Amino acid sequence: MTVTKILLVDDEVEFVSALSERLRLRNYDAKAVYHAEDAMPTIMKDKPDVVLLDLKMPGIDGIEILKAIKKFDTTIKVIILSGQGDREIADEGIKVGAFDYVMKPVDIGEIITKIEQAKKSR
Amino acid sequence: MESEKDSDLRLVQLSLIAKIIASFTHEVKNHLAFIKESAGLVGDIMESRKSLTKQDIQQSLNVLQSVKDQIGKTSDLCNYLNRFAHRMDKPFSTFGVNETLEELLVLLHKLSSQKRIILERDFDKNLPAIHSDPAKLQFLIFCIIEEKLRRLDNNSRIIVKSAHSSESITIEVIPRGNSVETVEEGICPHEICQYLIKQLGGSISQEAEEIVVTLPVAGSPLHNVP
Repeated sequence: MTVTKILLVDDEVEFVSALSERLRLRNYDAKAVYHAEDAMPTIMKDKPDVVLLDLKMPGIDGIEILKAIKKFDTTIKVIILSGQGDREIADEGIKVGAFDYVMKPVDIGEIITKIEQAKKSR
Repeated sequence: MESEKDSDLRLVQLSLIAKIIASFTHEVKNHLAFIKESAGLVGDIMESRKSLTKQDIQQSLNVLQSVKDQIGKTSDLCNYLNRFAHRMDKPFSTFGVNETLEELLVLLHKLSSQKRIILERDFDKNLPAIHSDPAKLQFLIFCIIEEKLRRLDNNSRIIVKSAHSSESITIEVIPRGNSVETVEEGICPHEICQYLIKQLGGSISQEAEEIVVTLPVAGSPLHNVP
C-alpha cells in the first residue's frame, strides 16, 4: 500500500506544523509550506496526492494557486482550509475544481475522512 | 445637513467596526485552530507511544510552551479590541494619541498583512495627552490608512508618525511604495474626513501621498475643555 502524500499550504506556521505532525503520526507523508510562492514549485517536485490549501494567504490570490494546481495536474485533489467567514471563497474554490473544504479550527477526524475520500476519487 | 453627515459618519463607523471584528475573529480563529491542533498533537504523542521517550516529553513540553505563548498573544489581542470598544464609551476624554494609534494599528494588522503591507510606527514618546474624541480620531486615521491600503501595491509600507509642538499634535500617514489609481470606492468619502476633522477641531492637509492630521493640544473648540 502506497503512502498518501499530502502538502499543506498555509501561512499560519504553528498551526500547519502541528497539523502536519499529526498527519505524519497517522502514517501520511505530510509536508508543509508556509508561503504561497513555494506551493507550485513544491507541488511540481513532489507531486502530492492531496493538497490542503488556505485560500486566504498574504499577498496572493489563493484561487490562482488552485487554478495553477489543476492546470498542472487535474488528478491532484485540493481540499481548502478555510476560516468560517470565508465560505464564499471556499464555494468559489469548489467551482474552480477543489475537491472539498474544511473550516478552521479543523477536526482531525473530519480532515482524514476528506483526505481518504479525495484519494479514492483520484 | 449636519444630521445627514452624522448618519453618514455612523455608516463609516459601522464599516470600521465590521472590518475590525472580521479581522479580529479571523485572527482569533487561527489562534484557536493552532491551540486545538497542539492539544491534539500532545494527545496523539501520548496515545501513540507505549512509553514516552525523553524526546517525546521534550516535544510535548515545547508544544505546551507554544500554546502558552499563543494564549498570551490572543489575550493581548483581546485587550486591544476591548480598549478600542471602550473608546466609544464617552464622546470626550483625555487620552494618549499614541495608545489610540497603537490599538488601531494592531487591529488593522490582519488587513494590512493580506497585502503584505507593513504598518510602521514612528511615535513621539513625549506626546502630551489631549482632550478630544478618541473614537472619532481612530475613525479618521482608519479612513486615511484604508485608502492607502487599497491603493498601495503589495509589499509596501505605511508609516504612521506622531509628533508635537506646544500647541498641536500631528499625525502623519506616509505611504512608501507604488500607489495605483483605483476606481474602487473607499469606505470613507472625503467629506466625512473633513467632517470628522472639523468635529475634532483640527485640520488635515496633503502633500503628495502624505496626509497630515493636526490636532490642538487644548482640545476641540466645539466642546468646553476643563
